[in-house]
Amino acid sequence: MSAVDTTPQSPEKTRMSIRSVINNAGIGIALLLMILFFSVASEHFLSANNITNILTQITINLVLAVGMTFVILIGGIDLSVGSVMAFAAVVAGKAITLPGLGATELIILAVLAGVLAGMVCGILNGVVSAYWSLPSFIITLGMLNIARGAALQISGAQTIYSFPFAFEEFGSMLIYGVPVVFLVALALVVIAWFVLNRTVFGRLIYGIGNNEEAVRLAGHPVFWYKVAAFSICGLTAGIAAIIYMARLNISSPIAGIGFELNAIAAVIIGGTSLSGGRGSVIGTLLGAFIIGVLANGLILIGLSDFVRQMITGLVIVIAVILDHYRAKYSAS
Amino acid sequence: MTASPLLSVSALRKSFGGIHALDGVSFELEPGEVHALVGENGAGKSTLIKVLSGVHMFDAGDITLDGASYRPASPHAAKLAGIQVVHQEFNLLNDLSVAENISIEAMPKTRLGLLDRAEMNRRARAALDAIGLSDVDVTTPVRQLGIAHRQLIEIARALQSESRILILDEPTATLTERETERLFEIVAGIKAKGVTVVFVSHHLEEVFGICDRVTVFRNGETITTQHITDVTPADVVRFMVGRTLEEAQHGSTEMHPGAGTALSVDGLRTTANPTGTPVSFELRRGEILGIAGLVGAGRTEVLRAIFGADAKLGGTVYLEGQPVQINGPRDAIAAGIGFVTEDRKEEGLILDMPISANSSLVDLGAVSRRGLLNFGKEREMAARGGARLKLKYGKLSDPAASLSGGNQQKVVLAKWLAKTPKVLLLDEPTRGVDVGAKAEIYGILRDLVAQGMSMIVVSSELPELITLCDRIMVMAGQEIQGTLARPDYSQERILHLAYGQTQTEERIPA
Repeated sequence: MSAVDTTPQSPEKTRMSIRSVINNAGIGIALLLMILFFSVASEHFLSANNITNILTQITINLVLAVGMTFVILIGGIDLSVGSVMAFAAVVAGKAITLPGLGATELIILAVLAGVLAGMVCGILNGVVSAYWSLPSFIITLGMLNIARGAALQISGAQTIYSFPFAFEEFGSMLIYGVPVVFLVALALVVIAWFVLNRTVFGRLIYGIGNNEEAVRLAGHPVFWYKVAAFSICGLTAGIAAIIYMARLNISSPIAGIGFELNAIAAVIIGGTSLSGGRGSVIGTLLGAFIIGVLANGLILIGLSDFVRQMITGLVIVIAVILDHYRAKYSAS
Repeated sequence: MTASPLLSVSALRKSFGGIHALDGVSFELEPGEVHALVGENGAGKSTLIKVLSGVHMFDAGDITLDGASYRPASPHAAKLAGIQVVHQEFNLLNDLSVAENISIEAMPKTRLGLLDRAEMNRRARAALDAIGLSDVDVTTPVRQLGIAHRQLIEIARALQSESRILILDEPTATLTERETERLFEIVAGIKAKGVTVVFVSHHLEEVFGICDRVTVFRNGETITTQHITDVTPADVVRFMVGRTLEEAQHGSTEMHPGAGTALSVDGLRTTANPTGTPVSFELRRGEILGIAGLVGAGRTEVLRAIFGADAKLGGTVYLEGQPVQINGPRDAIAAGIGFVTEDRKEEGLILDMPISANSSLVDLGAVSRRGLLNFGKEREMAARGGARLKLKYGKLSDPAASLSGGNQQKVVLAKWLAKTPKVLLLDEPTRGVDVGAKAEIYGILRDLVAQGMSMIVVSSELPELITLCDRIMVMAGQEIQGTLARPDYSQERILHLAYGQTQTEERIPA
C-alpha cells in the first residue's frame, strides 16, 4: 500500500482507484496469462464467436457477484442468491405471461416484479441477520430453501415459457459481438464501483467490514447499512433472473442451483476478503472473468467438465491463500 | 520462618519492547504460607505470574525452586514443576461436564485407548471432595453452574495434579461475599495440606483476612515484603502509591471555575449495576472531571451508558440543564457529546483505512454532498485536524495502522473534534502512548477546555487524573465512593476510596 501515492497531483482523488488497481494487478496478470495460454493452446479461443460465448457465459455470475461483493465487504455471506434468482424468475415469468396485456407493459411488469421479488428476499436476509446479530451464513441458508420452495410452489414445479418476442430479442442481442446483457452487467460493475468508492454509503460499507463498532460509535446506523447490503444482493439476484429469462426464453423453478457458490468464488478470487472490509468490485469483475475463461478454455483444449471443476476449485483455494498473505502484509 | 524458602525470586527483569514490565522483582515464598501480591494495575503482578507459570521467559534475574534453578519454558513445564495458576478469566469448556473439565489435561484412557469415563468421574469426585465441594455432581455441564462454582472447579482442577504452589489471580473479582468466604475456607484447607498459595487481590481486607505475608509491587518493582501482623492496610496503600511520586505530580493546572452545568447525570443505572446505588453527578462548563477506580469499578460502563453505546437500565442525562433522550451514539453526537473510547484498535479506528477517512468518520456530512464524498474537502478536514493536534504522519492516505500509538490517539481525537462537541468523554486517553505524546495530548485537552469544552476523563493512571482534572470522582463496585476537589488530591485518598469498600455485588472482571 505504500507505493500508492506516486502521483503528485490530487492523490486523494485517485487513491482509491490506484490502490484497487495495484491490489488487482496480480489477478489481472493471472487473467492475462490464462488468456495467453489458452490462445496458444487453442486456435478457437480468441475467435470472435468464442469471445461472445465467454461474455455471455459469465454475465449472470458477474451480476450475482456484484451484489455478493457488498455483502462480503460487510463481513457477511449470501448463500441464497441462486434460489432467490429462481424465485424472482418464476415471479417475473408469471407476470410476463399474464393474459390481456401488451408486450411492452408485460415486459415492464415482469422486470419490476422480478427485481422486487429479489429485493424482498435480500431485505429479509438483512433484517433478520442484522437485527438479531445472527450469522448470515445460516440465515441465507434458510432463505436458500425458502426461496427455492417458493419458486417450486408458485410455478407448480412447471417451467414457464412463451415470452414476448422483444424480450427474447433483448437476451440474444449483440453490439459489435458484445452481448447486450453483458453490457448490463458491466454497467452494474461501474455503478457499484462508483457507490463503493465515491459515496458515504460505500465508505461505511468498507468501514463496517473493518470495524463495525467504530462505525456504530461514530453515530452511523449500522443496522440499515447491513440491510442495504443484503438488499443490493437481492436486487442483483432479481436482475440476474431477468437476464436469465431473456437469454433462455424460459423461467424454471430449478434454475440457479449452485450459482451462489460461483458468485462467492468470483468475489474471493477477485481479492475481496471473506472477513470483510477489504476488496473491490473491479476484483470481482476479474474474478468472474477468471472463472469464465477457465471454464471455456479448459473445455476448448479438450479437458472434461469434471477436470474443469477441479481446477476451478483449486483456483479458489489459491486465491484465499494469497489473500491470507495480502492481509498479513497490510497489517504489518 | 526458619525453613529455607520454597521459591525465591531475585532481581527479576522482563521488558516488552521498550516497556519494563518487571524492573527488579525480588521476593520469597515460604512453604505452606498464603502470600499476597498487591499493587496498582500495571505494577507487574500479572507479568510475574506469567513468568512463574511459563507463559513468558524472563530477561534477567534468578528464580530458584527448592534450591534448584527454575526457568519454565512452557506452561506445561511449570505444571510439571508443581506451579498451578487459576486465572482471572475462566479457562473452562462450558459445554463439557465438570469431570471432563477437571481431567482435560490428562484424560484417563482404557487399554484400548478409549476414554475411561468411570476413572475420569472417580478422579473428578476425589478432586472436588478434596476442596469440600461434595455438593456438585461431576457429570453436570459447567454451563449450568454459577460463577462461584466455576471458580472452585478451576481450583479443583489446578489442585488435582501434584501442586506445590497455587497461584490465585484475583479469585474474588466475580464472587459475592458468601462465596468469597467459602473460597477462603478452601484456601485455608489447601494451606493446611502444605500447599503454598499466592493470592493476587485488589481487596486489602481480603489480603488481611487470609494472608500470612504481603509483597507490594509498584512500577514493575517489589517495594517490600511484610508480615501481615506488622502492617496496617494504610501502610500497604502507602507502599503502593510511593510518597515521592505524589509530591511531584501536584498542582500542575489551575482550577477552571465552572460557570453553569454542562452535563449532569441523575440516577444512572448501567446494566452492570442493576441493584446498587445509581450514579448521579454534575459536570460544570469548562471543567475536566476525572473518574478514578480499579478495573471493573464501573467507570467505562458509566461513559458508555451516557453516550448510548450500551443500553442503560434507568436514569436521565441533562445537557446544559435540558434532559436529552439518548438511545444510541447517534443521539449523543447530535446532542453534542463525543466519546474517545478505551480501545482505539477495537472501537476507535478503522485501521486499514486512510488517516483522512478516519478523521471524517464522525462528521461525514461535512465532507459530502447528497451522499457523494468530496475527497478534497475530506483531505482539508484531515489536514486541519492534523495541524491542530500536531499529528505526525507521512501522507493523509496512509492507513491509520501505520501511525504510532500517540498519533493514532490523535486521529481518534481529531475525529471527535471535527464536530466540536460540548462534552467530550475520554476513556483512558493516553493508554499505550509514549511520554512525549502524553504531554501533548494533555496540552490539547487543556486548550479545548479553555475554549469552553467540558470533559470527563476515565483513567487508571492516578498521576494523569491528578495532573489533568479539576475534580476526581472515585468509583468502586459500580458506585460512586466519593468526589475530591483539587486541594484534597492525594493518591492515597483516591486509592483508599477505590479500595476501601467491601464488594458484595457481582462485578465484571477486567
